[in-house]
Amino acid sequence: MSSYSELIKNFEKIRAYMREFYVYGFKNRDDYDAKSSRSYDNERRRIESWLGEHMSFVRTPEGKNVFISIDSRTIRHNPFYKAWKSKSFTDGDITLHFIIFDILYSPSVKMTVAELLKRMDEEYLSGFDNPITFDESTIRKKLKEYCDEGIIKTEKEGRKIYYRRAENTDVADLNEILHYFSEVAPCGAIGSFVLDKTQADTDAFTFKHHYITGAIDTGILAYLFTAMREKRAVTVYNLSRKANTPKKILMIPLRLLISAQNGRQHLVAYLPELNQFQSYRVDYLSNVKIEDVYPGFNELRCELDKMRSKTWGVSVKHNKSGTDHLEHVEFTVCVNKGEEHIIRRLEREKRVGTVEKIDDCTCRFYADVYDSSEVIPWIRTFICRITKLNFSNRTLENQFKNDIKDMYRIYGIDEGV
Amino acid sequence: MIFSELYSAYYNTVAAIISRIIDGEHSERELQKIVTERAFLESALTVMPSLKSEKWQLVHSDMTTPIKHIPTMPLTNLQKQWLKAISLDPRIKLFDVRLPDLDGVEPLFTKEDYFIYDKYGDGDSFEDEEYVRQFRVILNAIRNNTQIKFEMTNRSGKEMYIRCRPIRLEYSEKDDKFRVITEGWHGGSTINLAKMRGCMPYTGSKPLEESHRNILYDTVTVRLRDERNALERFMLHFAHFEKQAERIDKSNYLIKIKYSRDDETEMVIRILSFGPMIEVIGSESFRNLIIDRLKRQKSCGLQ
Repeated sequence: MSSYSELIKNFEKIRAYMREFYVYGFKNRDDYDAKSSRSYDNERRRIESWLGEHMSFVRTPEGKNVFISIDSRTIRHNPFYKAWKSKSFTDGDITLHFIIFDILYSPSVKMTVAELLKRMDEEYLSGFDNPITFDESTIRKKLKEYCDEGIIKTEKEGRKIYYRRAENTDVADLNEILHYFSEVAPCGAIGSFVLDKTQADTDAFTFKHHYITGAIDTGILAYLFTAMREKRAVTVYNLSRKANTPKKILMIPLRLLISAQNGRQHLVAYLPELNQFQSYRVDYLSNVKIEDVYPGFNELRCELDKMRSKTWGVSVKHNKSGTDHLEHVEFTVCVNKGEEHIIRRLEREKRVGTVEKIDDCTCRFYADVYDSSEVIPWIRTFICRITKLNFSNRTLENQFKNDIKDMYRIYGIDEGV
Repeated sequence: MIFSELYSAYYNTVAAIISRIIDGEHSERELQKIVTERAFLESALTVMPSLKSEKWQLVHSDMTTPIKHIPTMPLTNLQKQWLKAISLDPRIKLFDVRLPDLDGVEPLFTKEDYFIYDKYGDGDSFEDEEYVRQFRVILNAIRNNTQIKFEMTNRSGKEMYIRCRPIRLEYSEKDDKFRVITEGWHGGSTINLAKMRGCMPYTGSKPLEESHRNILYDTVTVRLRDERNALERFMLHFAHFEKQAERIDKSNYLIKIKYSRDDETEMVIRILSFGPMIEVIGSESFRNLIIDRLKRQKSCGLQ
């Protein structure tokens, strides 16, 4: 049995646990797969080690519930970034890393693998009681990894290959920029990696309405952005709500749709096999593999741009060559004197559609969208002033009205009021 | 790609330990402090023991090192690509800093690759020259713990002259606005940056008023009925609050959320947006706010 380590080799498993602890937090040990109870204990211990101060637990009749509770307004850095800094490595990896960069301490120093090996043995490892022995192929493999990462450069002279470190980039003055953008820009974990290189820290910024959960999906996002930049297809596993096992899908990733109001991130992609567009929750995607360049990428992007004025949330036109199936949404609110802020709210919160002033105390919003159910939560925020609804999807309109009646019942509001 | 030991807390910690040794620190106790500061809760069990036992052959048992230079590592391609991406963000102009030369680096993403579809439409004008100037005055005052002065029109239309100390800049992605958290004046603590006019450093010698406003918190307790995927939607929606959830039975949950009293109205409408799947059961005053809105809705004559 391997011993416990707070470092991990594969991020995927811990990703699911972090999400469970942070988003839900009401499950106890038995709610997780019984076969993996040791795994549960290990993952919980790891997360506790990374996020100790944010972990809590509560005892219930069913057992101990472990959860992560964070008021993201009070933190300076997204604590989930720590998970991205927990990759395991071998004793050889870390030893080689620091010695290689010490020998190649400046971009002006260049060496062959044989020269590097000689220096390592003579000046670094020989001083230890039981020096680690590295062979040329191990060093060459490590240097190749570093070349792929862009931190080592190669130079060919005749038949010899020389290695030297890449030029340093000065980030000393970027502390505030890194602090701000690592919290607000996509893939902020990468900014946090750069931030680790700077000495000072700032507490000039705080963040409100700050969804930190997306940090767990940074790895997936980075692959998807790379595929989009290179206009490539990807194969990816998607775990839909209706299925128990993830399904492998070939898709052309087109754009990330990020919510600032509910913390969800969706990928809009084109499925060539079905000739249709589809949105996917990024937190349900895993194992992204970048595939071939897709020649029609630019046209698909244009098609997606055309859909924007009819998209409220993440639902898009499905059939690429078919016609738009749009649903009309319309509601009217009363706006009394002194409530002009309601009109401003309608204007600033609508994502598509039109706000129209009917008279001194009535305003109407209308839009034609792919999926009118996406507008419902927003319309509910105007409860107390909705005077009229007009949905082309009558089932949805009736459901909305029944929901309001249900709320009257829940809160004991008399019919006659 | 992104999940690499190159970015790991352990590598950073070991780099810091080696740096301190090169600077002349050989006390194991002092070096152990670096582990506590920079790595994880249980890292103390691994990092120093691995160095001391020469498993990681970077530090000798007498706390000396064969490493000759302060450890550094160039930026990886991924780090440069991310920096290039943020260099294209209009908000970068708020900062009076020159970014490193990233010519020839492809950005990790551009504005074509992602879209925040539900942020409000009246966000701040981050490229407006006066906005940028005021932002820099405020940021500089925060750095140096100094005062600023500015004018603004308050909610009732009254012109105000304010002198205060800015403490932090608070950014909301939903509102796409910066607010300035301030202290030292009687009127309140948080001001929309875009509403400030003529913001300048205050160079006089007048002290500020003694006024430090703490954020007051309340808790709302709701019963959630898990229909139409309400549980997942609700828990994600309120994920950024301190909260606690408990399962009552197969489809009902009790959730407590701690929120700032200043945001009560916002909380009311956010909870209303979940319709009948959520029932507020405490506090009584919060429940009454929902009831009041529903009563008013009932009188709107919606058929």
